[in-house]
Amino acid sequence: MSSNHYFKHEGPWSDAGDPLMCTDTGDWRTRRPVVDKDKCIFCGFCAIYCPIQVVEMKGDTHFEADLDFCKGCGICAKECPKGAITMISEGEFV
Amino acid sequence: MAEKKQGRLTKVLDYLKHDDPFSKGVAFCPGCGLELLLRFIPRVLGNDIVITGTPSCSAPVLLGQNNQSWHTLSYFGTLMTGAAANATGLVRYYRKAGIDNTVVCFNGDGTANDIGFGNLSGAAERNEPFIYICYDNEGYMNTGIQKSGTTPYGATTTTTPYGSVHKGKNLRRMNLGLKMAMNKIPYTATATLSDLDDLAKKLLKAKEAKERGFCFLHVFAPCPTGWGADPADTIEICRRAVKTNYFPLWEAENGRIRMTKTVKKPKSVGTYTELMKKFNHMTEDDIKILQDDVDYEYCLLGGLSVLEAECQLPVSVKDQGETS
Repeated sequence: MSSNHYFKHEGPWSDAGDPLMCTDTGDWRTRRPVVDKDKCIFCGFCAIYCPIQVVEMKGDTHFEADLDFCKGCGICAKECPKGAITMISEGEFV
Repeated sequence: MAEKKQGRLTKVLDYLKHDDPFSKGVAFCPGCGLELLLRFIPRVLGNDIVITGTPSCSAPVLLGQNNQSWHTLSYFGTLMTGAAANATGLVRYYRKAGIDNTVVCFNGDGTANDIGFGNLSGAAERNEPFIYICYDNEGYMNTGIQKSGTTPYGATTTTTPYGSVHKGKNLRRMNLGLKMAMNKIPYTATATLSDLDDLAKKLLKAKEAKERGFCFLHVFAPCPTGWGADPADTIEICRRAVKTNYFPLWEAENGRIRMTKTVKKPKSVGTYTELMKKFNHMTEDDIKILQDDVDYEYCLLGGLSVLEAECQLPVSVKDQGETS
């Protein structure tokens, strides 16, 4: 999460609180993206197309989604040119 | 090995120079095109922007709830009838106060094309220096998927249902981008989420052109919930929309249209409609009407861009931005 700071262009009448709101969107997920590290060619398509922008670089070898916030839409798996990401049902991880 | 891998990294990441101002868990549907666009804009333009918007899918997140916000950008919520007028007020205030920043008026197609079009048109005529971004999800999605002016022919929504009498929307869609380009404003462009480098270039160009006056960006952002599509298909829908010329990518400076991406062998619009449930009922005749619509708009665009290249048009519109 980006650091919290006061708004630059807000007037003194603003009553916005300092901490940001954050929902546990990882709860919504029914399928989980699993990365095959050998197939990954480090192109970064999953990272740029992820709507939540939670797919992060892990060193300089592969990308991985932050499962605390991933909603499980499956865009990364669909857009991966090498098919390195598979969506696996959450039931298998219980 | 690691160095070889680095070389293949996509160029779009170079445009993402700034921090993401949004918190990570934000209340948008999975696979939402709007969320990707909304996170992309401040990462390209910088966090020093002021967003003004209306009640729409973006408002619950941009406006915040219970004195708390989802992001660290400044946001000004207005009514749908006065989006561009409020942005005008903000721009003039910042100019008088000597604050240098970018005002982004961020609205859906309902505000831009239907309810707030009077304001938008007025702001374009006065050439107010701000960026107006319309994310086009082809309907009023936040209030329960009603039809709007940009909903295509044949699409089912809750106000144009499919049944024994009605067969989806029986009116043709409007082309908002062309309407705005004809106002001869400094910068008009269409963009979509499958070509993010193109979108980033256009955003940066709009930020530059904003010094000369009004900028308008029409961004195609699919809504998986409202269109009955698989959330994973969001980007694929955008890609096919471009490949079938359903949503051609172009830009216009002072009304001079230039295609930014030309498709050599455009596919039938049927390859686009098959991805969504809202077109499920369409027969071949219906698809032909939609195809006619698409072909006509593309021919018009093509003709206008060729006209620009071949004819010597007068250069009188160049100094338009130096008034007031």
